[in-house]
Amino acid sequence: MSVLRPLDKLPGLNIATILLVGAEDALLQQLADSMLKEDCASELRVHLAKSLPLPSSVTRPRIDLVVFVINLHSKYSLQNVEESLRHVDASFFLGKVCFLATGAGRDSHCSVHRNTVGKLAHTYRSPLLFCDLEVDTFRASLAQRLVRMLQVCAGHVPGVSALNLLSLLRSSESPPPEEL
Amino acid sequence: MLPQKRVKNSQAPDRTSQVRNTLQTSLSAWKVKQKPSDSKINWKQNSPVEAHEHVDDTLQVAVEYFEKGPIKTSRSKDKILEKHLETVENVAWKNGLAPEAIDILLNVALSGRFGNAVNTRLLKCMIPTTLISEGSVVKAVSWLCVGKCSGNTKVLFYRWLVAMFDFIDHKEQINLLYGFFFASLQDDALCPYVCHLLYLLTKKDNVKPFRVRKLLDLQAKMGMQPHLQALLSLYKFFAPALISVSLPARKKIYFKNSKDLWDSAVLAVRLRNHGHFSEPLKLTLSPADLRPLKRKWNSHSVIPGLKSGSYAKGCGKKEMSLSDCLSCNRSLPLEQLQSFPQLLQNIHCLELPSQMGSVLNNSLLLHYMNCVTDESLLLRLYHWLSQTLQEECIWYKVNDYEHGEEFTNFLDTIIRAECFLQEGFYSCEAFLYKSIPLWDGFCCRSQFLQLVSWIPFSSFSEVKPLLFDHLAQLFFTSTIYFKCSVLQSLKELLQNWLLGLSMDVYMKPTTSSPLETTLGGSMNSVSTLIHYVGWLSTTALRLESNSTFLLHFILDFYEKVCDIYINHDLPLVVLFPPGIFYSSLLSLDTSVLNQLCYIIHRYHKNLVAAKKNELLQKAKSEFSFSSKTCEQFNHYLKTMVGCLWTSKPFEKGIYIDPKILEKTGILKYKNSLNIVHHPSLLSYAASFVLQESPEERTVNMSSIQGKKWSCYLDYLFSEGLQGLKFFIRSSIHHSSHQINRIEHM
Repeated sequence: MSVLRPLDKLPGLNIATILLVGAEDALLQQLADSMLKEDCASELRVHLAKSLPLPSSVTRPRIDLVVFVINLHSKYSLQNVEESLRHVDASFFLGKVCFLATGAGRDSHCSVHRNTVGKLAHTYRSPLLFCDLEVDTFRASLAQRLVRMLQVCAGHVPGVSALNLLSLLRSSESPPPEEL
Repeated sequence: MLPQKRVKNSQAPDRTSQVRNTLQTSLSAWKVKQKPSDSKINWKQNSPVEAHEHVDDTLQVAVEYFEKGPIKTSRSKDKILEKHLETVENVAWKNGLAPEAIDILLNVALSGRFGNAVNTRLLKCMIPTTLISEGSVVKAVSWLCVGKCSGNTKVLFYRWLVAMFDFIDHKEQINLLYGFFFASLQDDALCPYVCHLLYLLTKKDNVKPFRVRKLLDLQAKMGMQPHLQALLSLYKFFAPALISVSLPARKKIYFKNSKDLWDSAVLAVRLRNHGHFSEPLKLTLSPADLRPLKRKWNSHSVIPGLKSGSYAKGCGKKEMSLSDCLSCNRSLPLEQLQSFPQLLQNIHCLELPSQMGSVLNNSLLLHYMNCVTDESLLLRLYHWLSQTLQEECIWYKVNDYEHGEEFTNFLDTIIRAECFLQEGFYSCEAFLYKSIPLWDGFCCRSQFLQLVSWIPFSSFSEVKPLLFDHLAQLFFTSTIYFKCSVLQSLKELLQNWLLGLSMDVYMKPTTSSPLETTLGGSMNSVSTLIHYVGWLSTTALRLESNSTFLLHFILDFYEKVCDIYINHDLPLVVLFPPGIFYSSLLSLDTSVLNQLCYIIHRYHKNLVAAKKNELLQKAKSEFSFSSKTCEQFNHYLKTMVGCLWTSKPFEKGIYIDPKILEKTGILKYKNSLNIVHHPSLLSYAASFVLQESPEERTVNMSSIQGKKWSCYLDYLFSEGLQGLKFFIRSSIHHSSHQINRIEHM
């Protein structure tokens, strides 16, 4: 199975699975740890991947949310995500994908402009979050937010669907803001 | 004479050494790392007096050497030069240079007596102990005309001037050189730095048509350079009539930071000028508590201390008495400004501090800023604020996040000043727009949200993409506590906008603000804000499964909204969305129901007042309330009365087919929502019945009827349900059980 599809498996009971995709292993690992520390009614599963497609031999649970992590300090990280995006089924973009840009704080180190990522997220109609994953407190608060999003995407919050959340998070129909 | 001096000498360094001691022990390693030169000159701590004198001597020799010029005959010239240069550098970076030393060395550096490399090194270490005298700068500028220094030196000099601008004691004479600086714009290499200097220097009188023309020419020649734009926009601010070119409205950073060379030095000077004020001060009318009791030497404050130039000169001499100061015609030193009456007496001759940031901590000066008409003061403050906010903000300096607490304190001080002045600063607004996409919603939360509540009034559609879209993203993905804090700060924002607008209506009836030319436009913006919050709240209730806690904050917001017409005298009544109405009506919490009753009561009052007014001045009323608002209000009112009072729910107002209700299997659904059986009031009813007949085995709620009903009502009112009391008194006629609804025309 080369293309990742959201609904090709049955969900596990009270299980919410998130897939973090990004070139920087260490950061993803730290983020995963922070997420698992969060207090949460659902059972969390965090999967990490350097890039997509995922190997087809392994059995894995249904994936409820895919987070693409882009390090703004490295062009490779952006390329990697762009390559990986091709292996995601279109129906995933109905609320089960989100982009995360890290390193935006230190402007001078950035080799990828914030707007580039903004445009990418806009093209894929998915929300874009910013967070400097190196800093513990920032990472913890982001982990908390991701867990909430994941719970919605896994269908564990009554009355709210992934698509519904997406429509709330997408700022507006306007194109990404030009340089301020 | 001599012994006296001696005593003075030995005391002064003693104190400084103490300070230095604590500084070195408690300031963590970063400071030492930043300045490698620190380790080289490790003064013997056990004999600070000698060390101090020794340093003084060598520095004096070095300065004298430079003053005399290079000794041509000596073979070891380079060596001596190097030694003296190092001395000067060390002292400068360590303790700064006295105004006299700067005066001499600046002359040397710009006169070109030594080589270019020496000039550069000298310029780089022109770091003042506390202040730079204006005279030295003027003298230095005069050297620029002689043409003895190279282009690079000139550039460096201008950068230095910009970086140290705040430390120059006066600026009047420098301002007289405005024309000269302006002419230097011609030089392409100098242009950005000169622009920055002019940006800091420009006063209203400096803006002349010929200068505007020159600037526009330059812009045509060089294209849209950010530095030129900055200067032009400043000019446009002072003289809008002279410049018709349209400039980008919100450009965040005009100048590359010229301070970078002197970053740590500027920090050190600030620290020296003013090591205390680490904790934000409470703003009161009297500055008696200006100095906090606890002085923390181990943390520097971002906000500079108060210092006016003239006082710095005076303090070396005999202390001047206040009456001396008042009688002579010159300005009053800020340090002597102690009370409000004093401010009033001297308001014509106040000289503002050389560092504008210090205003933030002084309530008297904030008063002054508030009434003074000179825009350049505000511009200086805004410029300083935006620079400092940008530099200090923690998520821009990831490696340095121990500064978190300082940044929080700084924000607190700004917020206090904003509260004091009851107006937001433009720079804070710009800072918010820039940094909110990067905000994690957690660090400095309360400060950030308070800054949001002080955003100056502007058109909502303009602010939304810059701020509210990002805030909404955080809002929907964060915890319930974050949602509550956001709603709280939006309530404050609404209140600040309303206060500002109702002031404007009184002051100048037609033109309220440059953005919204008509009152209708402003009202439109406010009502969009309210609708937006309504949308946020409805969605939040759904995400948090109708949490009572959240509902409290939402109803708090609407308590402000429902009273706009009467409290603020503004023609606006906006109702809450049905999602909020029904959630609160069917809530299990008594206080939520009580609050809802109060809000409906106030809406009633406001709508009646609005209707009356409309009837009175029908001819000229330009804002008519849509009949839709009245219709919806009546719908809410009917629903509430039907549920709580007449026990006929789902007939008037919200309608549900009786057949469906039968299917639910509840037999007595009709009275299940009245004030006796309403789930949130049931416990009151039970304790009321028990109170009436304590020996009764079974509690029979249905016994509350007729006369007992009004006793029960009194019981409820005595339990503190004031909102319910208001609602029932105003909306229901006891005799006929008639609803007091609003007739719409």
